[in-house]
Amino acid sequence: MTSRRGFIKAGGLALFGIGLGGIPSFLADAVAGTTTPGLFKKKKIMVCIFQRGAMDGLMAVTPFTDQYLKAARPGLFMTAAQGGKNKPLIDLDGKFGLHPSMSAFEPMFREKRMAIVHGIGSPNNTRSHFDAQDYMESGTPFNKGTASGWLNRAVGLLGHDAATPLQAVSLTSSLPRSFYGDNSAVAIKNLADFNIQLKGNQAGANMASKSFEDLYDQTSSGLLKNTGKESFDAVKMLQKTDTKNYKPENNAVYPATALGNALKQIAQLIKMDVGMEVAFAESGGWDTHFNQGTETGIFARNVNDLSNSIMAFWTDMGRYQDEVTVMTMTEFGRTVAQNGTGGTDHGRASCNFILGNGVSGGMVHGLVNPLAKENLEDGRDLAVTTDFRAVFSEVADKHLGIHNDKVLFPDWVGKQIGVMRGV
Amino acid sequence: MKKINSFYICILAFSCALAFSSFVRNSQEKGQFVLPYKQAGLTEQQAAAHLISRFTYGAKSGDIDNVLKTGLEKWLAQQLEGNLEDTDLDSKLSNFDAINLTNTQVENLYPRNAQLVRFAIKDGAIHKDSVNKANGKEYRSAIASYMKEKGYRPQQDLYRQFINQKILRAAYTNNQLKELMTDFWFNHFNVSLSKNQCAAYIPAYERDVIRPNVFGRFETLVLSTAKSPAMLMYLDNFSSSGNNVSMEEPGSEMVMGTMQPAKTRNKKAQIAMQKVQANKQKKGKQGLNENYAREVMELHTLGVDGGYTQSDVTQAARILTGWTIAPMGDNGYGAPMKKLMERVGDNNLSKRGFVHEGDFLFVPNRHDNAAKTVLGKKFPAGGGYEEGVELLKMLAHHNSAAKFISKKIAVRFVSDNPPQSLIDKMAKTFLSTDGDIKKVLITMATAPEFWSTDALREKTKSPFELAISSVRALDAKINQPYQLYAWINKMGQQMYYYQAPTGFPDKGQYWINTGSLLSRMNFGLALASQRIPGITFNLAAMNNNHEPESAEAALNIYSKLFMPERKLEATIARLKPMLNDPNLESNVAKAAEQSTPTMQMNTMANEDANIMDDGAEKIKKGKKAIANGTPGQKAGTNTMLSQVVGVIIGSPEFQRK
Repeated sequence: MTSRRGFIKAGGLALFGIGLGGIPSFLADAVAGTTTPGLFKKKKIMVCIFQRGAMDGLMAVTPFTDQYLKAARPGLFMTAAQGGKNKPLIDLDGKFGLHPSMSAFEPMFREKRMAIVHGIGSPNNTRSHFDAQDYMESGTPFNKGTASGWLNRAVGLLGHDAATPLQAVSLTSSLPRSFYGDNSAVAIKNLADFNIQLKGNQAGANMASKSFEDLYDQTSSGLLKNTGKESFDAVKMLQKTDTKNYKPENNAVYPATALGNALKQIAQLIKMDVGMEVAFAESGGWDTHFNQGTETGIFARNVNDLSNSIMAFWTDMGRYQDEVTVMTMTEFGRTVAQNGTGGTDHGRASCNFILGNGVSGGMVHGLVNPLAKENLEDGRDLAVTTDFRAVFSEVADKHLGIHNDKVLFPDWVGKQIGVMRGV
Repeated sequence: MKKINSFYICILAFSCALAFSSFVRNSQEKGQFVLPYKQAGLTEQQAAAHLISRFTYGAKSGDIDNVLKTGLEKWLAQQLEGNLEDTDLDSKLSNFDAINLTNTQVENLYPRNAQLVRFAIKDGAIHKDSVNKANGKEYRSAIASYMKEKGYRPQQDLYRQFINQKILRAAYTNNQLKELMTDFWFNHFNVSLSKNQCAAYIPAYERDVIRPNVFGRFETLVLSTAKSPAMLMYLDNFSSSGNNVSMEEPGSEMVMGTMQPAKTRNKKAQIAMQKVQANKQKKGKQGLNENYAREVMELHTLGVDGGYTQSDVTQAARILTGWTIAPMGDNGYGAPMKKLMERVGDNNLSKRGFVHEGDFLFVPNRHDNAAKTVLGKKFPAGGGYEEGVELLKMLAHHNSAAKFISKKIAVRFVSDNPPQSLIDKMAKTFLSTDGDIKKVLITMATAPEFWSTDALREKTKSPFELAISSVRALDAKINQPYQLYAWINKMGQQMYYYQAPTGFPDKGQYWINTGSLLSRMNFGLALASQRIPGITFNLAAMNNNHEPESAEAALNIYSKLFMPERKLEATIARLKPMLNDPNLESNVAKAAEQSTPTMQMNTMANEDANIMDDGAEKIKKGKKAIANGTPGQKAGTNTMLSQVVGVIIGSPEFQRK
């Protein structure tokens, strides 16, 4: 394993000197200004968003000309036709319609920065949330014992020493399965908490911080010593900006939701130039067995949050947009037919969204056959026509330069489908 | 006269006790084993400290003296029996009414969320159109009153009780090693609360499947985990089925693991037959699931390099087809099946080749009864339940298992990279004693490698161990264990939620990373300054109610109390200059002044009020009520002493064991 200890060697950091708050002014300027020289050579960043609970891909991006779908979902089917009493779907290409609550995505799609893959899923047909998430995050759909997650392996394949302890950051309270493994990865729910704290006693916290820094610098255990140094270096990096009073740029407005908040902090980390290359966030509430609604209701609220959060992030990214690719994922899709309680049950394929300037956007990739019973998996579900690994590996390859699919997705033999433009 | 008599009786009793204890000590020492610490150049005190650091959740004050008094060998022998009285713990645990429930009782009392919604709709308590609709408040209150009416409880309550009792056990049990081994084996045979379907079975899994067997034979653990609902569900074996060529009787086909929803329940034979057909189709589709068979070899017994092939996995999976969960619970999916089984009766079931033991059910018509070969061993056609038992026993006694398990135990108790010579000794014992775990532990503890100076303090505490060792060192009262859980989680160990069947990696590198290390330091500061609600202690009492005269004295005294028999010169020397800063006192005082008004009440001036008699505790509670911190934080003390102790708990030395 190439070590994250490289951080200590990264010459730039020595400039920080010892002691808290001693941030060189050129750095502060760099952060506030429009140029981004930074300590770390500008790196590409992949942001992954896991939609836990299984998003109904057929409602997010509806094949609205499909009469079978219309028949199977009398209470849920939406149309792209204008002039009805309800808001129509956004017609993307005459075949697929984007849910109206995701209108924020439309310009990105039209500008060909956003791609959609439909019929994406896992070759393992489990319909258990746990198992399907486990397989998708480990990247090995038939092996539960894989100790590492695919994003952790991705970090190991970046091809350079980690220059920073913040190379892979998950904006969650604990490490997601995707991040399990030997490479450096850290879970931070709130950037503001990333410090030595003693609530209501700042002076005490400062003193303790100094003591800890000295103690860890001195200790005989290499692991504790090095990690201690990294920790305090990271604290100093994060203190460069006032994370609590962050002002998004370009009038971006993040929804006041868990996802919005997570993406806002990812944006901060990117702008702080801390050397992050892989970021992870989650979105919940997709398990819509009951009354998922149509143009309003729980599903509409969810996709609204998803699209507005991502678009706020993208807008806020401004000059960083070339470096960033955002990809969503969900463990499986939902039944073609609605159930008896106004919702949908666990199915197979769903769709996902990929946003970035290197994306082969403006089209719905993948294959969705007419939803006649004989075309459905097990007679009930949208069939998986694209292995999720084909898409994940392509984004990792084209955006992060990770070519070793044998390590990234052992057991996978397949082809990329062209969701990214060639470099 | 009376006084004199009782005096003599006392003397007599005392000398008898002395004679008896020395007799026991001798027989233990001579009869059982000798710990070779002297050869390693350790004093008895240092050896006791090492024993405590490896075989308990951390030293409490007085622990070393107790071990010395008992005798090192005898102390370890007692720990390996694991049956010391635990009245204090038992009385604390008696507050938790859910921790002793059977799986069936849990099913009946704690319906899963989705189940609950369906029940509520069926019983007309809510309308199906109201779920997920805008008026969430009304909906929630309808659900709440429905639960109250039915006596249902939220599942979170079960998990909270379960986690709370775990924390209390670790902190307070006298049978410390048994609790450590429970943790070790649970993690080895990991199941996860993050998988909803198995979560409710996990409290019983730890209680009935793991804890009673931690010092027994390894095969017992393998067999009983294999048959537990938690594992059957977690690694999917409950659903694994194969073709059974001889079992075509419709009667027995009805009792299949595939559980039908209540609405399809029907006693009429014709419908039963249709069901059989439907089940057959389903069965064909579900088929073989290799997950458990793979992991029982890779993770539970042989290890990834244990010498098995994919074909071994597949054939083992076929042997284990039909191993499933007996229907339980009076509501929901299993109910009709359970009633049917009760009607048929266990006798009739066993005549047909079923095996029904508690929550385990072997269903012969889901069992692939063709011939198989695993690791060269032939299992002839026509086998049933017993061939699975045979397979698991073979795995549990395999050479590879002896090495794999020995290494894992050595990693847990000696170092992240234990010497091969030690593993070999342990594996030899494992094989010669039919996998007797206690004997393997004795071999480890009596090996020179265990006492080598390379091994001392070589392990990094997990977040759970850090939290528990801290409260033990502080002799703290834990009134709200869940507060500790929140911190343990924050420090990177979401207990019982590790998703992968590997369990938490047992190595320092996993636990120590940038984020988690800061959380450890913050935990030390928050705990020592009494900012963690529901965790109380009296620092002064630890030092016979003497207030240390200076920060330096505090550092000296408390670091020795917290880390007995450690070389702490470097730690102390490093901190001294800072503590000798002439401005320190005034800085601390200033910090106290800057605190919010509610916090000032708990500063040094009234720390006496914190001394833990019940009256003072009540006063403090009153104050706590007005201290309005964010959840999990309360106004604490900002004394010099708490600051010093916080730094000790967060120090690198205290992260090691």
